[in-house]
Amino acid sequence: MSEVTTITEPGAAIDAQGSLERWIQSRAEPELLASRRREGWADWLAEPMPTRRMEEWRYTDISGLDPEAYSPVSTTGDRARSKEDLPGPVREVLDSDRKRSAVFIQHNGTVEHVRVDPDLAERGVVYAPIDEIAGSHPEILERFLFRSDVAQSERKLWALHTAMLSGGYVLYVPKNVALPHPVHALRYVDEAGGLVSSHSLIIAESGAEITCIDEYLSPDLDAESLSLNGVEIFGAENAVVRYLALQHYGRGVKHFSMQHANTGRDSTLNVFNVTLGADLARCDVSAHLLGPGSESEMLALWFGDRDQRFDHHTLQNHAAPHARSDLLFKGALAGQSHSVFRGLIRVAEGAQLTDAYQTNRNLLLSDKAKAVALPNLEIEADDVRCSHGATVGQVDETQLFYLMSRGLSRPEAERLLVLGFFDEVLSRVPLEGTRERIREAIELKIGLSR
Amino acid sequence: MSEHLLEIRDLQARVADGGIEILRGVDLVIEPGEMHALMGPNGSGKSTLAKVIAGHPGYEVTGGDVLLDGKSVLDLEPDERSRSGLFLAFQYPAEIPGVSIANFLRTSLNARRSEEEGDLDVFAFQKLLNDKLGLLQVQPSFAARYVNDGFSGGEKKRNEILQMAMLEPSMAVMDETDSGLDIDALRIVSEGVSTLRGQDDRMGVLLITHYKRILGYLQPDQVHVMLNGRIAHSGGPELADQLEEMGYDWLHEPEPEPVG
Ligand SMILES: Nc1ncnc2c1ncn2[C@@H]1O[C@H](COP(=O)(O)OP(=O)(O)OP(=O)(O)O)[C@@H](O)[C@H]1O
Ligand SMILES: [Mg+2]
Repeated sequence: MSEVTTITEPGAAIDAQGSLERWIQSRAEPELLASRRREGWADWLAEPMPTRRMEEWRYTDISGLDPEAYSPVSTTGDRARSKEDLPGPVREVLDSDRKRSAVFIQHNGTVEHVRVDPDLAERGVVYAPIDEIAGSHPEILERFLFRSDVAQSERKLWALHTAMLSGGYVLYVPKNVALPHPVHALRYVDEAGGLVSSHSLIIAESGAEITCIDEYLSPDLDAESLSLNGVEIFGAENAVVRYLALQHYGRGVKHFSMQHANTGRDSTLNVFNVTLGADLARCDVSAHLLGPGSESEMLALWFGDRDQRFDHHTLQNHAAPHARSDLLFKGALAGQSHSVFRGLIRVAEGAQLTDAYQTNRNLLLSDKAKAVALPNLEIEADDVRCSHGATVGQVDETQLFYLMSRGLSRPEAERLLVLGFFDEVLSRVPLEGTRERIREAIELKIGLSR
Repeated sequence: MSEHLLEIRDLQARVADGGIEILRGVDLVIEPGEMHALMGPNGSGKSTLAKVIAGHPGYEVTGGDVLLDGKSVLDLEPDERSRSGLFLAFQYPAEIPGVSIANFLRTSLNARRSEEEGDLDVFAFQKLLNDKLGLLQVQPSFAARYVNDGFSGGEKKRNEILQMAMLEPSMAVMDETDSGLDIDALRIVSEGVSTLRGQDDRMGVLLITHYKRILGYLQPDQVHVMLNGRIAHSGGPELADQLEEMGYDWLHEPEPEPVG
């Protein structure tokens, strides 16, 4: 990436604002989105760039990030008319015989395919590109889009994501509707040097039950691409939302994912991040426990190799009493890869009888790999149960020898140990098909299948 | 004359990185099809010998040799030794949470297959596994458990023998497999070992034990006694009876052979 063309410089800003306006015109998009875009752009200009002097950005330097160094991905591609029009890797995922209640496919900035089980559509389930929703159900966007409580440290990128929005979907599931199968969104990027900014807005009304998958794919790209990704989940009373983000971009991508899940009274939330790809992947995952009695489980797995940088920041934001949150993040690092985990449990003054747990475990597979773990508590209520812990360790030589004594080569034995290490998290995924999809992606990344 | 199956020649070993010397010149020859028992007091070096044979990185060989089918294995990695036919049933098997026995066994079997052969067919694997589980009278659900994770002492030993049955080694070292097994399990495991030897009449076994009960089932060709890092005494099966009666005190370490 080129050095900073300081976008906060007045001249540059006006230029950029001008091109933003031209871009908005060219997209002919509804005013609702255009105004959010302008607000986002204004925020982007107003917010200071995160520097390593900020605690949240101490280990990830984005001071040189210049959105104008990327070109916005094309949004004008045609919808795929048949499966053959879809990119090969996307077809491969679709070809697996897993059942899905709905499918969404975005290729760069173009939504190529959306399909919803007609029975569910009839029962009021909406699954459509954001642009379309702006026309058909503006009230949903008014109520929910960009309505999450974004932390100060995240605002700069959130603003850029808002301004540059290119694609994404809304999933709206009405009261008491349980989706029988997962809803699967695939985003495929193959425009080198592009900027894609895609959003997932997921709304489960009271008593609704959903499993939602966001999968990110790309080949290795020879010019750096920027992927900005926002996820907002709203689970109303008694809703059950299971969300999985499976990121296996190729190299050449910088990926920033900002995820905000909001729980209603007695609702259940499960957010699972699998980070395998990209040069740099930063995930800010926040669970806002807004409803009393709600429950959140946050899980993550990552496997880094070569010089990959993964950075996971979490917030278990207990705003309501009687809520419970659990977090288990596990990462394995090979090569010269580095990872950061920074987790915060925040319990507000009125959030009595909170149960909050947080665990991060890291497995280093080489001397040059590095993991930093920073668990944190901020508790203002007095009747709470909280615990946090983090470990960084190497492969156990006794286990390694045991496996090798049965004929496994050292790399094979290490891979099996990594999968074993991951199993504690993987086994918490209730749907077998989803679990298998994750396992496949991980095995592919760590090269277990020969 | 054909080669010995296993030949240990004046083997000396110490704890790696200049630690204490444990094996001080072990000599032992096992011919194809033979079963030898190795006895000796606690701390005499039996497990160390077993681990050195298997290539444990925690020990350093300072002299002598270990040959399998006439070829030295000392330069081979533990996995290469395993694929050459060696098997060690550990006295204290490692626990591996998160890895199921079935997955582990499938990976181990596939590691023995060439690129051209490709991975073992799932159904073939399942059938093989069921056969061996049956042989050792173990519930099929056992294979779904994580390797030794939370296992009782006896379950760990059974798991070792299950692995041995699956991998069908030509030379097995069983380190105190009988310790911790209940009376029925001891019989079942012994019968299992006999069955494996029946299927491959060239298979050799080195059975490390403190008790003669298992020897009643398995009838070793020879019994050796290790004292302080050396084989101090060898004899027929009757030696085990003598040891049971008289302990080890009456045995003496062999004099070091004169140099030169
Ligand atoms: N890695 C090690 N570091 C230090 N000492 C060791 C190590 N491994 C073995 N030893 C010592 O070497 C000696 C032999 O140990 P080994 O386990 O081989 O005995 P053993 O004959 O198998 O005994 P047992 O009958 O109790 O199983 C013991 O004194 C033991 O403490
Ligand atoms: Mg021992």
